[in-house]
Amino acid sequence: MKQTELINIAETWFDEKGWTAFPFQKKTWKAFLQGKHGLLNAPTGSGKTYALWVPIVLNYLKNNPNYKTQKPKGLKAIWITPLRALSVEIQQAAQRFAEELETGLTVGIRTGDTSQNERAKQKRNMPDLLITTPESLMLLLASKGYKKVFQSVTAVVVDEWHELLGSKRGVQMELGLSRLKTIAPQLRIWGISATIGNLEQAQNVLLGMDETFRANAVLIKANLKKKVKVSSIIPKKMETFPWRGHLGLHLLDQLIPIIKGSKTTLIFTNTRGQCEIWFQKILEKYPEFAGEIAMHHGSINKETRLWVEQAIRNESLTAVVATSSLDLGVDFAPVETIVQIGGPKGIAKFLQRAGRSNHRPGEPSVIHFLPTHAIELIEASALRKAVKEDVMEDRIPYLLSFDVLIQYLVTLAVSDGFRPQEIFPEIKNTFCYQGITEAQWQWCLNFITLGSQSLQAYDEYKRVTITEDGLLKVESRQTAMMHRLSIGTIVSDTMIQVKYVTGGFIGTIEEYFIGKMKPGDTFVFAGRTLELVRLRNMVAQVRRSNKRSKNIVSFMGGRMSLSSQMSEILRNELQDARLHIDKNKVGQEADHKRNTPELKALSHIFERQEQESTVPRNDEFLIETFKTREGYHHLFYPFEGRFVHQAMGGVLAYRISLLSPITFSLAYNDYGFELLSDQPMDIQEVLDNNLFSTDYLFSDLQKSLNATELARRKFRDVAVISGLVFTGYPSKQIKTKHLQSNSQLLFDVFRDYEPDNLLYQQAFRETFEHQLEEGRLRLALERIATQTVVWRPCEKPTPFSFPIITDRLREKLSSEKLKDRIKKMTLLLNK
Amino acid sequence: MLLVADVHLGKVTHFRKHGAAIPPDAAFKNLEKLTEVSNHFQPKTVCFLGDLFHSKLNTEWHDFAKWVEYTPASVVLINGNHDIIPKYLFEDLGVQIFDSQIIDSFLLTHHPTDHENYFNFCGHVHPGVKLKGSGRQIIRLSCFFKTKQQLILPAFGNFTGKYTLAPTQDAEIYVIADGEVMHVSA
Repeated sequence: MKQTELINIAETWFDEKGWTAFPFQKKTWKAFLQGKHGLLNAPTGSGKTYALWVPIVLNYLKNNPNYKTQKPKGLKAIWITPLRALSVEIQQAAQRFAEELETGLTVGIRTGDTSQNERAKQKRNMPDLLITTPESLMLLLASKGYKKVFQSVTAVVVDEWHELLGSKRGVQMELGLSRLKTIAPQLRIWGISATIGNLEQAQNVLLGMDETFRANAVLIKANLKKKVKVSSIIPKKMETFPWRGHLGLHLLDQLIPIIKGSKTTLIFTNTRGQCEIWFQKILEKYPEFAGEIAMHHGSINKETRLWVEQAIRNESLTAVVATSSLDLGVDFAPVETIVQIGGPKGIAKFLQRAGRSNHRPGEPSVIHFLPTHAIELIEASALRKAVKEDVMEDRIPYLLSFDVLIQYLVTLAVSDGFRPQEIFPEIKNTFCYQGITEAQWQWCLNFITLGSQSLQAYDEYKRVTITEDGLLKVESRQTAMMHRLSIGTIVSDTMIQVKYVTGGFIGTIEEYFIGKMKPGDTFVFAGRTLELVRLRNMVAQVRRSNKRSKNIVSFMGGRMSLSSQMSEILRNELQDARLHIDKNKVGQEADHKRNTPELKALSHIFERQEQESTVPRNDEFLIETFKTREGYHHLFYPFEGRFVHQAMGGVLAYRISLLSPITFSLAYNDYGFELLSDQPMDIQEVLDNNLFSTDYLFSDLQKSLNATELARRKFRDVAVISGLVFTGYPSKQIKTKHLQSNSQLLFDVFRDYEPDNLLYQQAFRETFEHQLEEGRLRLALERIATQTVVWRPCEKPTPFSFPIITDRLREKLSSEKLKDRIKKMTLLLNK
Repeated sequence: MLLVADVHLGKVTHFRKHGAAIPPDAAFKNLEKLTEVSNHFQPKTVCFLGDLFHSKLNTEWHDFAKWVEYTPASVVLINGNHDIIPKYLFEDLGVQIFDSQIIDSFLLTHHPTDHENYFNFCGHVHPGVKLKGSGRQIIRLSCFFKTKQQLILPAFGNFTGKYTLAPTQDAEIYVIADGEVMHVSA
């Protein structure tokens, strides 16, 4: 059949359904049928599944004209989705097309939820299309005879590629594809991504470094742009609106008319705790909503979540309070209004949420922004500008993740074994490992076969053995079993179960959050204050606490840093506020054209800030100092986003500590950072010594204890993925308790005995590249160098400083001798 | 007599045997440190308060055997919950084994044991404490944890970790910081 005939089949089917194919869908069909690879940039709910599933089926029909009588066996296509929850929906869509065209093609799902029985069945007889996750794909590579399973595959589609790209699951995907390219000669590789800043790079990462793949690829953009209108809920009484906070409950009464004025409203919160509290408070104050509102977040069991999703489609709910669990996938036509509580930090996330409302044609979708504290209103104003100017964040891919590589090599050794000389070129052709050297490659091989780089003979290390004919293979069944169990552990945000010490399941939270906490720390989750007792086997054991905690469980939305574009827009917003103050001073009317409602509402706070300290001009860099009961506060305001502040705070603290022995605790937000100490420091001395210099930036960054602490946290993932720490499988008991250690301990052991270990060093590299954003830090310091420093000694905390100094999650830096520090410390009476 | 608790020899090798590539140097360090302290104090007896070996026999046993031969002191082991290596193997090296031992008014055990008439030296817990200073500093250190009738020793091994204890009213705490032992108070 010719291409046009094939496409006619699809168009006829679309016609029967009363649909018209979008231009982007047709473009994708054609490109696929021409044998191209590519990346499709299309939002959720736009028909992207049919954009790629249709040509896979058409291609099958073309290559198998006798498909009705002679159906060839074996896997034809793989559909990768980062979220298990989305697989059913994809399956339904795919099956519908395949069945109605009477192709006889079957569609199966294989994820962590798939039963053992079903898996075994699949292994004997694979479905034609397999919908799976990156982890499950790896597990297939870890089973014997995997080459036979994959050799007939004609297409791999990686859905929501933007979600995977900036994570190690993305690296896992790159490695999986590098193998499939070799064993499946007819393979086409396609990705589907929402809009991100670096789409072209995203395509290159997906396809790898092979010129043949890159040259034969297309980037197709759906260009289905939705208009978005940002509308802030401005407190009626701005004077009493708090300067800090995270819940935003003060504005509850102002939210109600919005809910009542619309058929279905989605209310997005940043945390599950916040979600629960909002849900309860709405019902408490407005009991008439009982039965009409629901809650949706990842900790709630699956059945309830599905019920809520169905209820949204049936229009039987007035409002749903949700978290990021409703960000992805599933499309809800009846939703009219979106409310965002608290700053979403990321423009992409904000837009994704805004896009969840189905607006009438030609009308923009409206997203209401509800601030949780006063200064957050500037963010709304900045977000509006970002949306208008079409600014979008990049997703930064990982480079040289040795932990994932080691896991992958052991995976191959567990299944059929591998020969290094065959695998090395494949690895070298991936984006992630394009820069790997022969020496580093040998290091990885030594790591899995010898467990070290020195060739000691008498050691008992056992993981991968080299057979006589040079095949690297895992021979121990226990090692193989443990490895298979740990493959699932690359999850960009590992979920930890939260349980009471006495039993009783409360829910799940991101490892990121709990990883920062020590036993004895308290946090608010599911509306309760809990104290962490211990973290064990992916379970955080907690008990109820009577202490007040401001440490509310935070998720993705809470920890995103303002991107550099967004920071710049924020700084400009500040200048508009500045202008307003200046005009008021000389008695002029404010320039209303430039003044957004948010900035107008904030004017009294800016005036207060100006009175206590100052609102810095574009060419000024503000430093504030004051003393409270907690010690001496030193605040710096670069307005560069929290990650850059974290790094800058660390470097500055380190440099100051070189002048004289001093200990700091550091706090930061998107606007600035604080160095808190038990002794005052001389800001003039800081300025005289040129401590904001970019000279020796890298080495200072590395030396600041801050970086070590962060690397220690990153090391947890690295240790688990590379198999140094065996955590078992979430929710399954481990029988290998004697093999448990914690990554903290390992980190210290590597620091003391093997500091050149590539995995240990990787933890630092990841910290610099992904967490501290060294590149941006450098630019920020260069900018500060051109500014005039304004140092304001203040009487009391200023409006700008308030959200920072009340932050309880802190880092330390000290140049005092441990002995001297201890003399000044007291024993903590609780654990 | 030199008292040493929770060395956990063989732990590094045990992990390596099961495919976790812990730096092998970490294993030798424990015995080096042991040699250092026994050379320094020249005790008549070195008494291990349990958990001398982390698990089954492995190559670290040979290094330990060499150490026992080398050290002039007599060696005593109070059995701990991790000590599963057969008794006779220790006895072949001339190491005496007890479940607990009473010397004058002192009771030596692995698990902390309360006794009215004896002062108890023990290990098992790997005690640590948390210290708090102004400027919201918090650090955690290994310690000797002494109450009226008991002293819990810190873990000697370098690959062992610590368990944070809440100090009680009558507890005296001696933390280990920068190679020194320091008294801290609440």
